Amino acid sequence: MVTRERIESILARVRPCLVADGGDIELVDVVGDSAVVRLSGLCAQCPSAHMTLHLGVEAALREAMPDFGNIRLA
Amino acid sequence: MLTNPQTCRENLVVGRSTRMRAVFDFVNIISRSDSTVLITGESGTGKEVVATLIQQTSRRSHRPFVVVSCALFSETLIESELFGHERGAFTGAIKDRPGRFEMADGGTIFLDDIDDIPLGMQVKLLRVLQNRTVERLGGTRLVPVNVRVLAGSKRDLKQLVAEGKFREDLYYRLNVLPLTLPPLRERREDIPILLDAFLERFYRARGEPMPPISPAVLQAFATYEWPGNVRELENACERIAQTNTCGTVRIGCVAASILFRARQEPAEPEMAGPPLPATSTISLDDRLRQVETTLIRWALDASHGNKSKAAAMLQVKRSTLGDRIKHCGLDEGPLETRLNSSLVDV
Repeated sequence: MVTRERIESILARVRPCLVADGGDIELVDVVGDSAVVRLSGLCAQCPSAHMTLHLGVEAALREAMPDFGNIRLA
Repeated sequence: MLTNPQTCRENLVVGRSTRMRAVFDFVNIISRSDSTVLITGESGTGKEVVATLIQQTSRRSHRPFVVVSCALFSETLIESELFGHERGAFTGAIKDRPGRFEMADGGTIFLDDIDDIPLGMQVKLLRVLQNRTVERLGGTRLVPVNVRVLAGSKRDLKQLVAEGKFREDLYYRLNVLPLTLPPLRERREDIPILLDAFLERFYRARGEPMPPISPAVLQAFATYEWPGNVRELENACERIAQTNTCGTVRIGCVAASILFRARQEPAEPEMAGPPLPATSTISLDDRLRQVETTLIRWALDASHGNKSKAAAMLQVKRSTLGDRIKHCGLDEGPLETRLNSSLVDV
């Protein structure tokens, strides 16, 4: 079951890592089984970081919630 | 000397942890020896790198150095690969071919993945190690070889002997100078040094200066478990060097698996225990001991066996914890593990 609370709890787990490098991840919206997030900080602009952060966060969410769809960037 | 950066065939042997210093000291001590060395270590801990270092510091450094992975060949192929064959020995043997032992004559052979060598082959290898002669497949004469043998194993051969998967006599023949390489997670203080060394090498290869590394990346590298050991860390560094775009190594350059699977907080101890029967009796002492055992084991796991830390987690004195460990019978077994993981059991 994909809920805002569960997504937030996963994001809270990965957030310290991003914050430590001056970035952040913010949950903007939950649409069905998917999430809309906003990445900020220096890495948010970098195409290689996109692979790490977008896919990495998605994998972490899917690990916790097998029925999670995908994340879209706001 | 705290660090011992050696460049050998583009391989780095780096580390200033106690365990790596012991490895360097041991390599130093055996550098004048011609005896067989058995290098044991998990995949990616650098068995071949250390074998190369041993060869390069030995008196045979200018003689041939032949590396064979025993895992690469099927049971039939490995014999011809190691000992060679004569023309006509089998279909396709169109000419005489010397084996790896003959190629290494006068020098050193590194038999990697020795734990994967089939049982049938072990007796043949034993004979070669004992007599220092090889007989080519289909051949009739014994060829004397003067070869220093290094062997690499990712598994504890003694354990394989106990399981009946490795010949005891071959084990003793190989285990003359045993050298154990620690997994990276057991020498975390070397991680920043390795990170620097690999990044420096990748950037030097491109003729660019090495970018600074953010503390967040250092933190992620320091807490990750590194199941693939130094090889995994080397690949992570290559990835950084290939993908970095902003002039500082930040978390965006690091694989998500390293960032988000960095060592997780120790799990909550399982407290459930067997269900309570509705009517019959239970032993309170036994149940309490079970609970105690679970909690102590949890603390020892979380503190990686450090009893002082475990005692602090359980808010008891270090000496009390010792008594409780004995009381719960937890002090049997771990000793064996400690002995097996000791660095150089000479």
